[in-house]
Amino acid sequence: MARRTEARRSESTVLPTGSPALVWGAVAVLLVALQAGALGTFLFGLLADGVGVVAAVGPLEPVVGWLVGVLDGAQSAARGVPTLLSREVIPNAGYWNGQRWVGTFLGLEPALAWAIRVVAVYAYSFLVAGWAVLGYRLYRREYRTANWSPRDDMIDRFRSHGWGLFGLVVVFMFVVMVVFAPALGPTTVDKNMRNSYSNEIQYYDEEAGAVETIVVGEANRASQSTGDNSRVLPMQYDDFGRFHPFGTLPTGRDLFTFIAAGSRISLIIGLLAVGLSATLATSLGLISAYYKGKVDLGSVLVSDAVMAMPQLLLLIMLTAVLSDTWVADVYSGGFVLALIFAFTAWTYMWRSLRGPALQVSGRQWVDAARSFGQRPLTVMRRHMLPYITGYLLIYGSMTLGGAIISIAGLSYLGLGVAPPTPEWGRAIQLGQEYVNTGSWHISLIPGVLITLVVTGFNALGDGIRDAIDPRSDAASEGGAGRGGGA
Amino acid sequence: MSEPVLSVEDLRVVFHTERETIHAVDGVSFDIREGETVGLVGESGSGKSVTARSILGLVESPGAIEEGAIRYRGVDLTEGRWDDYRGDIAIVFQDPSSSLNPVYTVGNQIKEALRIHQGLRGREATERAIELLEDVGIPDAARRVGEYPHQLSGGMQQRAVIAVALACDPDLLVCDEPTTALDVTIQAQILDLLEELQREQGLSILFITHDMGVIEDATDRVNVIYAGEIVERAPTERLFAAPAHPYSRALLESIPGRTPPDQRLPAIDGEVPTPTGPAESCRFAPRCPDAFGDCSRVHPEHVTVGEDCSAACLLHSPDHEGGEST
Repeated sequence: MARRTEARRSESTVLPTGSPALVWGAVAVLLVALQAGALGTFLFGLLADGVGVVAAVGPLEPVVGWLVGVLDGAQSAARGVPTLLSREVIPNAGYWNGQRWVGTFLGLEPALAWAIRVVAVYAYSFLVAGWAVLGYRLYRREYRTANWSPRDDMIDRFRSHGWGLFGLVVVFMFVVMVVFAPALGPTTVDKNMRNSYSNEIQYYDEEAGAVETIVVGEANRASQSTGDNSRVLPMQYDDFGRFHPFGTLPTGRDLFTFIAAGSRISLIIGLLAVGLSATLATSLGLISAYYKGKVDLGSVLVSDAVMAMPQLLLLIMLTAVLSDTWVADVYSGGFVLALIFAFTAWTYMWRSLRGPALQVSGRQWVDAARSFGQRPLTVMRRHMLPYITGYLLIYGSMTLGGAIISIAGLSYLGLGVAPPTPEWGRAIQLGQEYVNTGSWHISLIPGVLITLVVTGFNALGDGIRDAIDPRSDAASEGGAGRGGGA
Repeated sequence: MSEPVLSVEDLRVVFHTERETIHAVDGVSFDIREGETVGLVGESGSGKSVTARSILGLVESPGAIEEGAIRYRGVDLTEGRWDDYRGDIAIVFQDPSSSLNPVYTVGNQIKEALRIHQGLRGREATERAIELLEDVGIPDAARRVGEYPHQLSGGMQQRAVIAVALACDPDLLVCDEPTTALDVTIQAQILDLLEELQREQGLSILFITHDMGVIEDATDRVNVIYAGEIVERAPTERLFAAPAHPYSRALLESIPGRTPPDQRLPAIDGEVPTPTGPAESCRFAPRCPDAFGDCSRVHPEHVTVGEDCSAACLLHSPDHEGGEST
């Protein structure tokens, strides 16, 4: 066996080298190393946030506090590690000193410097994705002992599914925005929004003909988009030499930075909600399909009861009821939102999973496993779960789109994520008054982006469904196309 | 006579549906002795598979074992004792392609059973799995052990399924139509394999099929099942030489080889009725060529018609001698 692999290895078709895995691995390590600092910062930050959620639980508090401290320490250590695609390496914030740009990347104008950073971020991300795909092909062609597995067909079908690929690209670009949010914005949430009065910038005052210094908050106040007379439209500079790719908000803050930071909260709440509801739906689906009878009937009743509750009203009520408790403060209220979404959304997912789960539970290999005494949990996990993970992906992707719409819808209504934290829905609400004026961009841009991202998630779901089950017809399945939430 | 490995006593399995209650197995009793192959033969829908599933405790809602006992070496399994004897009784299902999980390799599935029943894992388990594949006659077992079910032919798959069953080290093997989904040539190979395994390992086998040819080839004793009831039990040779029940006779007559080539093959008209209530008459009476008046009024009891054989038919009942003349 080993000799056979050896022989095949030398005639690699994917990478023209003697040991493709080694080369592949080396490049992968290099790609990760370029971003090591940011990766560490993000991971430790996320962990600290996650552990912080538990902080309020009584007896464990000292332990959790210590853990959070350690993680925070790790995060700041990771911050010190240089990162290629960061605003420090490719800075775009600078000023005109009368002759040239100072402080920007290679002395280019801020718009160009920013564009270079954004293009570099996306190029890097697509490179990483491409490298991952290459790795998969390498494994499939040269290292896997079986030359075909049922999953190959699904992947090949997905590769020729245009709509699904469109969805994948949109979702991928959205995820990249989430991951690189701090590096993508022309400025940062901290500088531009949270602590705008403790940060200063320099700019070129044409009247005085000299470089002046101003507090960011003051600069913001002079760059507000509030109608026809005072506005900073997309792709424009304001009076302080700052470039605004998406224009400014009515408060004068940068819309692009706002949206990039908001994408993060949308996706994290969405993932948390979908993750929780998928876990709930899968375990209930497997249990009710395995035991059938009364257990099944019981879960049908429970899910029907939950489905009968109006989701939006429940959200509004719980947001109001929980507004003064500690959970409401976790992640600017995003955690509560995720919990409520999970509680209401699992029913739809469970309904969709129950059919496939029941089908699998009737397969003979399940009986065979039971007949030789496999434990019920193991039978569910080993012999039933693999058959519904595909469906989980489909409905997960679609529910995620729905969750993003719902979160935006709630912030639009002034509920959900608490105000200083950027959120797409609130950008729409902020721009609402100016829709029919010269400052139309405030509502329009986040609105279009939400539509695009949700369409992307639904398209991805469609693509996965067609890949898993080529006989299914997108038009005939009503329940699966559920996109909208609140 | 030694104590039977398995004895099924007056087993009744009912399925409660919204409209009616179906008595899928209605008072079935039979024994399987050490090292013996017992056949259970009947048409589709006669309750063969339900009987097999009951023995392994696989009857699921809405079905339930309502009455009767399934004694494995004297212990009544229906008292929730199945889990204590898992692996002592193994089952081989009809369709090998669906009794193997397509996402795991053959070896993986054998190892799953080995791990539970023999506590083997890792290299040891792999070696034992290869041995088992060799035992069931799979050539190049060391390579096949790492292959997925779809890479094997139907016959190979069924051999692999048998290997999984053997991995439990069973005393009793329930074969639920193990050859039905296979070609005739492969069928013969599988039957030979089962016979060989039985001889080597002293297995007892319950062989379920609708194919009288297979029954003749593979079994020592036969139980003929019709609409959830056993209508005749006899040693195989005796059944083929002198069937006592009209249904057994009709089944034998419909074996293609037994009718001269120029004659139309006799068939039994109609279908197996779905038993929805307790039996109050002979369930075969509507299709029986020999039925007479009492057949639609009296439910026949088993009558001994020879050594080790009995039939549930009024024709053999001394109280209804009028029947003998028809």
